Amino acid sequence: MNLVYQTVGQSIDKKDGRQRLRGEPLFSADLELENALVLKVLRSSKAHAEIESIDSDAASALPGVVQIFTARDIPGRNLMGIINKDQPLLVVDKVRSLGDAVALVAAESETAANAALQAIRVDYRDLPAVFDPQQALTEEAPLIHAEGNLLCRRDIIRGDIHAGFAAAAVIVEQTYQTSFVEHAFLEPDAGAGYVDSDGVLVIHASTQNPHYDRSEVSGVLRLPKERVRIIQAATGGGFGSKLDVNCQGFIGLALYHLQRPVRLVYTREESFLATAKRHPLTITMKSGVDSTGKLTAAKVRILCDTGAYGSYGIAVVSRAAVHALGPYALDNVAIESLGVYTNNPYCGAMRGFGAPQAAFASESQMDLLAAELGMDPLKIRKINALRPGSVTVTGQKLEASVGYLECLEAIEPYYQAAKAEWLPAQVPEYRRRGIGLGGMFYGIGNTGTKNPSTARVVMDQTGQATLYTGCADIGQGSSTVLIQILAETLGLEYENIQMVAADTGRTTSAGATSASRQTYISGNAVLDASKKLAAILCSLGARQLKTAASDLVLRKGQVQDRRDPSRGISLAELAALARKQGIELFGEGRFDPVTTSLDPETGQGDPYATYAFACQLALLSVDVLTGEVRVDKVVAAHDVGRAVHPENVKGQICGGVAMGLGFALMEAFEPGKTESLKDYHIPTCSDMPEVIPLIVESEEPSGPYGAKGVGEPALIPTAPAIANGLALALGERITTLPANLERVLEAGLKAGLFGA
Amino acid sequence: MQGNEQGLVDISITLNGREQKVAVPADMSALKLIREVLGLKGTKEGCSIGECGACTILVDRQAVNACLVFAPQLDGKDVQTIEGLNREPRFQALQQAFLDRHAVQCGFCTPGLLISVYALLLEEPCPDRDEVIRSIAGNLCRCTGYHQILSGVDRAINPDAEWRPDVG
Repeated sequence: MNLVYQTVGQSIDKKDGRQRLRGEPLFSADLELENALVLKVLRSSKAHAEIESIDSDAASALPGVVQIFTARDIPGRNLMGIINKDQPLLVVDKVRSLGDAVALVAAESETAANAALQAIRVDYRDLPAVFDPQQALTEEAPLIHAEGNLLCRRDIIRGDIHAGFAAAAVIVEQTYQTSFVEHAFLEPDAGAGYVDSDGVLVIHASTQNPHYDRSEVSGVLRLPKERVRIIQAATGGGFGSKLDVNCQGFIGLALYHLQRPVRLVYTREESFLATAKRHPLTITMKSGVDSTGKLTAAKVRILCDTGAYGSYGIAVVSRAAVHALGPYALDNVAIESLGVYTNNPYCGAMRGFGAPQAAFASESQMDLLAAELGMDPLKIRKINALRPGSVTVTGQKLEASVGYLECLEAIEPYYQAAKAEWLPAQVPEYRRRGIGLGGMFYGIGNTGTKNPSTARVVMDQTGQATLYTGCADIGQGSSTVLIQILAETLGLEYENIQMVAADTGRTTSAGATSASRQTYISGNAVLDASKKLAAILCSLGARQLKTAASDLVLRKGQVQDRRDPSRGISLAELAALARKQGIELFGEGRFDPVTTSLDPETGQGDPYATYAFACQLALLSVDVLTGEVRVDKVVAAHDVGRAVHPENVKGQICGGVAMGLGFALMEAFEPGKTESLKDYHIPTCSDMPEVIPLIVESEEPSGPYGAKGVGEPALIPTAPAIANGLALALGERITTLPANLERVLEAGLKAGLFGA
Repeated sequence: MQGNEQGLVDISITLNGREQKVAVPADMSALKLIREVLGLKGTKEGCSIGECGACTILVDRQAVNACLVFAPQLDGKDVQTIEGLNREPRFQALQQAFLDRHAVQCGFCTPGLLISVYALLLEEPCPDRDEVIRSIAGNLCRCTGYHQILSGVDRAINPDAEWRPDVG
């Protein structure tokens, strides 16, 4: 049924868009607090070393230096981490990676703070370090944490792989490697805070999850949660890295001791050095297919280098396993995914949690299998595509909103045209063209764990609504979408809806802005709250209109008779009436997706309530003399359930393609070498291909107005589509990302193209 | 411009249409002057080494990375930041076009990006795609993938322009 909505499905103006265009929102670094001290963090210059002593006497005596803090000054639990707690705010006895926080300086000025950093003397005793996750698992490897170097493992076992491989006509096996990737959001991490008149530590920060920040900061300081208030400042992108507590803990510690306003602004270099990276994954994948193109079995080993700390590592390890084989039905699988500590920079969440790395491997395998069978790459994907009624590798039966085939069909005309016309066209001999497909599925929300959201909608006596949500909009547009869901449900004009967001003092938790979950999960919480308020309004209206509440609808600021819209009463009148009767008009909503935890032995379970699907097609040309790759066009078909805000969806898709292009061709963070944007390049406007976003709407019955999510899915298919296009162009497959100039030239040489 | 007794340099600039005299250390960046001394926070610091373009301002109607200019080098110049440009009708039209085409996500790169485009439009009211791309190739955006930004520029140049998926 194609319902017509008033606001849902409309690309309304972005909430606060005009202010953002005027440069008005205050990002954390823009906050001016009177008399604020400047904080700076002394960071480790060693990758693995014991700290023998920290001498801060000389630094403390410098003019303008107020206080220097070390681990001894932390009153509470000096361990942080989103899933497992293993990362000290300030190191206790040893450093585990470059950039670990050793001491915190509070000073009257930046100059004084920097002078203090220079004057603190730390005596280190070097420890043997390990930077390779495979080596880190060996007996003789130095221990990074007392409990051992294995952070976690996730196995997924289903069917019988021996029988599956025996039934295969073709088997291919390959190892794939990805790199550390820096989030490179435009706004470096920052925060500022003060102590309010009630003694509450108020911290404004650039964050993706203020409620998590509050529990972490209050834990570190051994304070009741009510004594810490986190307010999200305007946030300039996050992409996963601002899920970790970065500045917030330092600000909290200084406020606790000094009771004076403080601010902490990372330089770009510090943001690069001290915040999480995307996990580099080593994936060995063996896949079998029968002569008809049906996948029969797969065996996968995944090694995730989580660096010195866990952060979101456990989620990445698990999600990489669940998504290892892509959006395909497969009865016989054995997947082993390990998360390993090394002395590398710690790795955490980054757009896709391991799924982009896994998709690079599994989609490369699909093309290898197709080539062995002499089958078209689109056809092998169609044959194996998950569809309604399919069972995933975790044994989850997908009932509805399984739009992968629809994505493939949306791509098909572009694919056939590219194959028939673009690919064979005459080009100079030193240029080679290629086209490639990349598919993906992506579970919305956290993997097999509770991840609820809550919301509150309040109507004042004039009939105006205010939404209270803990949801942090980091630029992607969740605030706009949540307001649309509220406006639709209460029949209000979206322009008149007020919003209070991401402030632990005024809103309840919406969970993290991660896992592409806010539209689906917080959207449902807002829907629930709005429906409850709508029910109250209808029952009040029923008394006035002398009709059954079930005959009433909310539309255009009124409660109306569904059959006769001329019979209605405005919300303003109803709200005034409620006020007279002492009734408070509000609705509180909650949503937690229905999931089951994965079996620890077999990984079987229903880890997500719904999945997004996508397929992208890349058209590219390679200059075989220079190794330069030009991506000419990306066609991106995404099943989002329903596009609540189609232009937001397109913006996510285009932004995801850009980030995926960087992941595919240029981005590699080299620990100890990469310092800043001078040696870490992300795509500019001139690197971008033409992008054609195609929105596929396979409605999700449990989603708000049918919506799922798109934030991470946007990025996932791009790198595999480019890798497959490159393999076709070069006649040689690149199995390590990024496929930079050197790797492309090397592949071209191998294929005998150099000088062709 | 002249050095004073505290080792500071006295400079005089026209900032957003108003003449302003200020004494600055010789090695202070224009970005620091704008954000921290003059308190104009719409100019953003993204990298401080001229790679990201978030601090783009207009100096004598040319787009410049404020982080790469020393404050004393602004002496005698006409300087415009987002706060001043917000009052200019042609700049407002560009902002409206960006809003219409959903060209803003987090908004951190946005002031600098708008100013780079605006500097181009001051010189060339009807630039072609290549000129537009060159004008913003030094402004990094990690959110949008640039398409809606280019679409916004298209709309500012020609309000009837349709959405175009290509950049080249």
